Amino acid sequence: MAVTIDYTKLRIVPDPDTREWWEATRRHKYLVRRCNRCGHKWFPPNIPACGKCASMDAGWFETAGTGVIHSYVVVTQPIVGAFVGAVPYVVAIIELDDCKEDDGTVTRVAGVMTNDESEVAIGLPCKVVFEETGNPNIVMPRWQISGSAEKTWRFTE
Amino acid sequence: MGALTDKYCIVGVGETPHMRPSNRTTLSMACEAVSKAMEDAGLKPSDIDGMTSYQAADSTSSAHVATALGMRLNYCLDILGGGSSTEALVAHAIGLIEAGYAKTIVCFRSMNGRSGRRMGGQVPGGPIPVATAEGDNQFNMGWGWTTPAQRFGMSAMRYLHDTGCTTRAFAEIAVAHRYHASLNPKAIHRSPITIEDHQRSRWVAKPFRLLDCCQETDVAAAIIVTSRERAFDLRHPPVFIMGGYARMMTENPQWNYSRPVLHYVAGNYGWKRAFGMAGISHSDVDFISCYDAFTFTTLIQLEANGFCGPGEAGDFVKGGRLKIDHELPSNLSGGHLSEGYTHGVQMVIENVRQLRHRADDACPGWREGRHTYDRSKGCRQLRKARICCGMAWGWENMASCLILRGIAA
Repeated sequence: MAVTIDYTKLRIVPDPDTREWWEATRRHKYLVRRCNRCGHKWFPPNIPACGKCASMDAGWFETAGTGVIHSYVVVTQPIVGAFVGAVPYVVAIIELDDCKEDDGTVTRVAGVMTNDESEVAIGLPCKVVFEETGNPNIVMPRWQISGSAEKTWRFTE
Repeated sequence: MGALTDKYCIVGVGETPHMRPSNRTTLSMACEAVSKAMEDAGLKPSDIDGMTSYQAADSTSSAHVATALGMRLNYCLDILGGGSSTEALVAHAIGLIEAGYAKTIVCFRSMNGRSGRRMGGQVPGGPIPVATAEGDNQFNMGWGWTTPAQRFGMSAMRYLHDTGCTTRAFAEIAVAHRYHASLNPKAIHRSPITIEDHQRSRWVAKPFRLLDCCQETDVAAAIIVTSRERAFDLRHPPVFIMGGYARMMTENPQWNYSRPVLHYVAGNYGWKRAFGMAGISHSDVDFISCYDAFTFTTLIQLEANGFCGPGEAGDFVKGGRLKIDHELPSNLSGGHLSEGYTHGVQMVIENVRQLRHRADDACPGWREGRHTYDRSKGCRQLRKARICCGMAWGWENMASCLILRGIAA
């Protein structure tokens, strides 16, 4: 079930380091940063330097927008006005499939998934979807469960 | 042992009441806290020549407070910082005094943390009407993920997944710290709670319930650091700074949530340094403080700082282990969970009072160090309070520690 977010109460302000990222979401592409010197990838894109080699020659990598849920929270008390009508909603940390590096480094991202906690479990595959916000400059990436997995874990208390 | 172990002392502590709302400025509250710390130490404004503070762009400055109180300082500085900054300012004060920049330094934090700017951006009346997402907030506000409960909840959830621990372990911490608050006349919440009360409290951000979350209060708190030589002349028995670490980070800080293990927090990198500097082992520690923005932040710091092994904290806290008169009393003032929220200063203040044997409890003779040790009569002074390990949390990848001892240790 989709979370209804009131985007009129949310003003996203891209900056010189993030403008291209938000432009890509308008074209329904999910980018992460990639170091043009050593190839390391990272998120969020407002970080301007490579954490592995300290290069500031930071480019982009277009991910497939797929990953696995690494953790999640279920927000029941809204803090941002845009989400007052959205509770309860699940925010997840997603480990991207195509950003794993040889030394074990991974890139994770976060995003809103669903109102229905029972859909969500650590270990489930998911994919990005893009939602129009009413503001032509901002398209919001969200995440959906995209399949099943053998080993999953769900908070049950 | 560290080169400066026991050379510097905490000699004065003070705070305003925990209020909500204060209807006061942060300048007014800071002046009260600093004045009370001076009075506690037996110092005059002219005896203080250094002042530092930390804030989140939500408070007054050292220069304002010094001017108001008629001080001429040799050093003042205000830093941006969150939890775990108190211990860092103590370390900073040691360096300044050692190097001759100042002789006696007061460190404060003053915040309208409930009626003014709240953690996570919530406004006093409730949700943010229209939120502006700039900088880091571009990548969390848009998914409704801004507050400490929502953020630390990610690490807590993964911890439950990885270890098999349940939220009953969180409850143990809420219950222990509330029990201590019941013995503290200054605490906001003094009615004891049970594990079942915790389990029945409403959800805030699963896996956190209401009783996993700290109190937000309007308050200012201050502590005074000086050299051992000066400390002996002051009002109370000195409390010696044995060792610590300050604003210690984890590896790979590029994004906290891309770290290999979300709940492998910064204390893991620091505790050997702190205990080595202090020249003690865990078994020498009589009691602890452990930054309790949430129950989970206390839980995870116990294993990060080597009090138990990885994944063992849930078992470690069972059966009231963190309660007064049990194995490892924690947060004897009630902490952030039940006393109020000072952004970390109150843990150091309570530890100092305990180590002086002058916990400000219901015992008529507490000012002279006379205690009944009768919990039913509101005594919260530990019988054996010689060495304390204070562990502080900024977020998963930022932590501090301060090991203190009393004069009898």
